[in-house]
Amino acid sequence: MRLMSSFDSVKSALAAAAPVMAGYVAIGLPCGIMESQIGLNALMAFVVSVTFYSGAGQFMIDGMWLAGSPVASIVASVSFVNTRQLLYSAGFAPYFAKTKKWLTFLFSATVTDESFGVNLSKFQQGEWSAAQATFVNLFCMFTWGVANAAGALIGDVVDIPTAIASFAMTSIFICLLVSQRFDRTAVVVVITTMLGVFACKCAGLAGPAILLGAVIGMVCGLLFDRASRRVVHRGAPDAGGEAR
Amino acid sequence: MSLQDFFLIYGICLVCMLVCRCVPIFVLKGRELPAGVQRALNLIPVAAFSALVANDLFTPGMFAAGLWPAAMPLVAAAVVVVVAWKTRSLVWCAVAGVVVYAILLFL
Repeated sequence: MRLMSSFDSVKSALAAAAPVMAGYVAIGLPCGIMESQIGLNALMAFVVSVTFYSGAGQFMIDGMWLAGSPVASIVASVSFVNTRQLLYSAGFAPYFAKTKKWLTFLFSATVTDESFGVNLSKFQQGEWSAAQATFVNLFCMFTWGVANAAGALIGDVVDIPTAIASFAMTSIFICLLVSQRFDRTAVVVVITTMLGVFACKCAGLAGPAILLGAVIGMVCGLLFDRASRRVVHRGAPDAGGEAR
Repeated sequence: MSLQDFFLIYGICLVCMLVCRCVPIFVLKGRELPAGVQRALNLIPVAAFSALVANDLFTPGMFAAGLWPAAMPLVAAAVVVVVAWKTRSLVWCAVAGVVVYAILLFL
């Protein structure tokens, strides 16, 4: 009976993970092809994919590497972009208050943008366990690793132009950007970040342009947010008066 | 660059990634983040993805070789924005982006 319920919970985790797994096959193949272009074989691509396990990060490393960026710029830019994981990890904290440490570690070490979305909505709906959430992560991670390894194998045989393969990455970044929650502060961040990146490149700082541009955008966003809060705060007594 | 350089990049990025992924969930168990920190963290994804998109699409002197070579990725990106808006699907965006880009490239 208990075995059956465990089987059911794994099955429901697989059902929740399936759409993400399908996506990872489609995106993992071009990522693996790019990895083969920088010299990784299938086994290396698999190991990198199931440990680092970051689509955006892996595409960035490959793309910046092929563009000839310095090591320090690649590390700083990729690590900055991955700091968004802090937000995801913090978001899951309330659901793991009573979970064992090893399971909390295994879960948190395998969270991605997509599995974050799936698991958070399942937790919010209720009746979702830490073990099921971890299974979702592991199913997706294994699929990502295999798709990357397959891509690296294909990449040895088929020569796909880098410009086309890397536009898959650009498209993924656009989708991830469009999928964010947009308010006025976010619009300010988008515009100032893009201007910041362009300005850095014009100033000959192409290497750290991603990191610097994003920091400029965040600072502008925080300043705008603070200024608009002050305006709202100042206007608050009047608004309260009207309400009365 | 050599594979040794690659594994240096991979190793440092992996450590940073694990810290970002694992530390908050252990530190915050049952607690809330300060509001200011939460606000700053909320802006990271928008800033990071905007920077990545801008880095891929905009280069100084991009129109020097003519209007079309520079406008072509922007047209493909505009199609991806519409697909992303409608579907919110990474797969459809990647497929649409690559197909439109390849068609425009060979036009």
